[in-house]
Amino acid sequence: MESLHETWSRLRSWMGRETMEREMDEEMRFHLDQQTAKNLRAGMAPEEARRAALMSFGGVERFKEDSRDEARPRRLEDLLQDLRFGLRTLGRNPGFTLVAVLTLALGIGANTAIFSVVNGVLLRPIPLADAGRLMMVWETDRDTGTTREPSSVPDYLDFQNLSRTFEKLAAFTGVEVNLTPVQGEPTRLAALAVSHEYLSLVGVRPLLGRGLTAADDKPGAPDVALIGEGLWQRLFARDRSVVGRTIRLDDRPTTVIGVLPDSGAFGSLQILTAADYSRSFADRGRDTRAEIWVPLRPDPASSPRDTHPIFVLGRLAPGATPQAAQQEMAGVAAGLEKQYPSNKARGVFVEPFSEVVFGPVRPALLVLLGAVALVLLVACANIANLLFARGAVRLREVAVRTALGAAWRRLLHQFLVESALLTAAGVGLGLLFAYLGLHLLLALAPGGIPRLSEVGIDGRVLAVTLGASVLVALAVGLMPAFQARRADLQSTLKEEAGRGATADAGRGRLRAGLVVAELALAVILLSGAGLLLRSFWRLRNIDPGFQAGGVLKAEFQLPASRYPVDFSKWPNWPEQRRFYDAVQERVLALPGVEAAAFAGNHPLDPGFTNSFYVVGRRDEARDWPEISIRRVDPSYFETLRVPLVRGRSIRSADGATAPPVLLINEESARRFFPGRDPLGQQIAFWGADRTIVGIVSDERSHGLAADPPAAVYAPLAQCPSANGAGSLLVRAQGDPAALAPAVRAAIRQVDPELAVFGVEPLATTLAESIARQRFTMLLVTVFAALALLLAVVGVYGILSYIVAQRTPEMGIRMAMGAAPRNVVRLIVLQGTRLALWGLALGLAGALLMTRFLRTLLFGVGATDPATFAAVLAAVFAAAVLASWFPARRATRKDPMVILRAN
Amino acid sequence: MGKDGGDLIQGTLDMLVLKALALEPMHGWGVTERLQQWSENELSVNQGSLYPSLYRLQRQGWITSEWRTTENNRRARFYKLTASGRKQLAEERRNWERLSRAVNLVLETTLS
Repeated sequence: MESLHETWSRLRSWMGRETMEREMDEEMRFHLDQQTAKNLRAGMAPEEARRAALMSFGGVERFKEDSRDEARPRRLEDLLQDLRFGLRTLGRNPGFTLVAVLTLALGIGANTAIFSVVNGVLLRPIPLADAGRLMMVWETDRDTGTTREPSSVPDYLDFQNLSRTFEKLAAFTGVEVNLTPVQGEPTRLAALAVSHEYLSLVGVRPLLGRGLTAADDKPGAPDVALIGEGLWQRLFARDRSVVGRTIRLDDRPTTVIGVLPDSGAFGSLQILTAADYSRSFADRGRDTRAEIWVPLRPDPASSPRDTHPIFVLGRLAPGATPQAAQQEMAGVAAGLEKQYPSNKARGVFVEPFSEVVFGPVRPALLVLLGAVALVLLVACANIANLLFARGAVRLREVAVRTALGAAWRRLLHQFLVESALLTAAGVGLGLLFAYLGLHLLLALAPGGIPRLSEVGIDGRVLAVTLGASVLVALAVGLMPAFQARRADLQSTLKEEAGRGATADAGRGRLRAGLVVAELALAVILLSGAGLLLRSFWRLRNIDPGFQAGGVLKAEFQLPASRYPVDFSKWPNWPEQRRFYDAVQERVLALPGVEAAAFAGNHPLDPGFTNSFYVVGRRDEARDWPEISIRRVDPSYFETLRVPLVRGRSIRSADGATAPPVLLINEESARRFFPGRDPLGQQIAFWGADRTIVGIVSDERSHGLAADPPAAVYAPLAQCPSANGAGSLLVRAQGDPAALAPAVRAAIRQVDPELAVFGVEPLATTLAESIARQRFTMLLVTVFAALALLLAVVGVYGILSYIVAQRTPEMGIRMAMGAAPRNVVRLIVLQGTRLALWGLALGLAGALLMTRFLRTLLFGVGATDPATFAAVLAAVFAAAVLASWFPARRATRKDPMVILRAN
Repeated sequence: MGKDGGDLIQGTLDMLVLKALALEPMHGWGVTERLQQWSENELSVNQGSLYPSLYRLQRQGWITSEWRTTENNRRARFYKLTASGRKQLAEERRNWERLSRAVNLVLETTLS
């Protein structure tokens, strides 16, 4: 209504400017005439009467100017005036302004940074065609309890033939290849071996050249490969003539048939990581990305039903649901189980692709988003509190102005303009914080988070930030405005007159409520942080069973072209042996090297498992899970300081031609030899009965969080690596990282063309294995600390306010002989009451909220009493301390000064 | 801007103008006369403030104006209270009463 009216009068004044001037003149003339007439009636001479009338008018032009001014609608002018006024007010209180802007900037910055990660990783669409219909088809094993095993080639072909709920199925697996350039050292690259259906199934088209065809997938077809866009850029500078060229992959000439966008590898790292084994390059950690695609050539003739090397991905047929697919595939698996003994206890688990890719990171990211939102809430409460505190001072001004007829609407505008100014400054600084924080975040982030490298502050992030900021500005600005409207005029004016002791209870309660809410939120955040901290501490203090400190790790894969793999002579492969011996001799000769050993897998690589039986107890073995098979050189246990519990260790005499022996770990002894002596018994796998000669303690080769698996340790000489993969472990006297160049050089001397990778201290690998937990713990702890800091500032603020109000009373008490100690206690008790409310509410909230952390915890319950007790004690102490400072300040004043001031 | 500290005068004057117009529509001169008369000559309204006030009240939609002829046949602009102006007057009146009561309370307090 008002605005319609204003529009109308603006229109009128604009169109009828001349009319208005004329009318104003006429109105003024009329008034002057009336005044002159009155003066005449009072007996003045005509000249005199006119002059007096003009004089009483006080300047004709000024009157016209003022009138024009008032007649013009002034929305923009009002806004400018409010802006000027707001800036002046904020400038007059630099302390308040600084604290408010910093608080907001921290809240908004942290939210923007975390939201941009959530947006970049979880919310953006998957760069594959209709990804919602992509499903992983895992095999399961009821005996071992595994739910995410790769499939066997014959099973995969049966799935393809028998399933109706899938439009198409494709297979792939992660491999690593050595790419030998024309010049320079060979590089080790992650690759995907894919069946010819794969690329069309996920909907990725080559940028250049062609994809794979059924002919490429036939055994014996010419070697071809597609390369990724990144590799095309790095090695070929985007030269379009790369298609048709020949590159050397694992020493074999291979024709490049096309270039794929990097999205062709989307999710493959996460799928490999999710698998119970056959994880390939996924265990190299960090963000290994497949850059080469080669044909998988699934051949049932060379790959039997009891080996499970391939991953099956399917696209649901139109109208089929994941549940229907699960049901159908379970039926197919049951049929195969009846038909083939090797499929005993096997089933199928159909899992949405997006769940495999995002499932592991979603809980942590959502927890972080929740934590950071709580921080923003605390920040808002704090600023509202600050504005209240200032509002209390300004209340008199506001009350007088309202009483004198200043429109409440104008006051509201003014408050909103002020909070908008604050928020704008906060957002500006907050975006800067977000930008810096995001860089820090990405640098700290653990590997394996999908598309983390693409995270940034984009349009959507900005939109959400700005949206949130508008809400913050409204909330922060409206609260004091409404408070002002409800303000009790009389008591305010009485306070003005110097009777300040009667504080209005309502306002105090609201502010106290805000402080209680802040404390409660801080308790919730700190409880979460405490639980994550304890989990991480437990995880870190777990003995992995080997001593990683001081050990350098290097990995390689001996190519079959130069290290022939002749199964008729297995395990006697002299080329591999010569390599090991030559490298070991050179490494041991390096200064600062204490010990060195080769192993099939380094101690944090889960390696592989195999079925086995104890000689003489073959029937029992049917129900036994597979056992982890570790292949090591004699010096392995010494290098990694894995203690021998009983019997003897592996010796160099246990060579390829000597009687096969092995060690078992304590877990194997417990599980498979309860009440028996394992020493001297024989374990059979890979066509040999192997005598148990010793027992070693357990290594946590599946990571710190997982129990150590039952494992056997066979001499590397008696079980050489069929794919040539191996690890070199070197114990250094000093810093293992410093040895890296010398160790690389030693390997290069023996085989200049071998790609060596994963060269790093084993301690780094170990730390990396719990990097995700550390990341979540670190961030939540930082956010919780921030919330606590803000809450403490809130407590301090309100108690300072209370103290300021009660200073006269304190003065009287002290003048009448109360000890300062008692006065301090009185104030601190008020703070304590607030703290207790905050603790109670926070505890209730924490009990409700920490359940969302459950999947992130390790060895600690979601309602761990010790953690909660510690958090409550810490928050309580902080709150009491925050109230002690203002209390002490009150007693520092001379009571006589206080009373006189009153 | 010439309005600094003008809240008291401006706000009060606006209220008084509204009150004067509450009885019947009248021209600016009539408002001056009426206020002077009602206040027993205590308040003499400066025309330099009166007309800006009238224009302001009109912009805010609390009064409207039209040109009419006076009893001695002169053309003059007559101002008239609107419905929202009537409400505004009641509101300002309440505030005024609270304020004056508050001020009185303060003034009547005997110092101890």
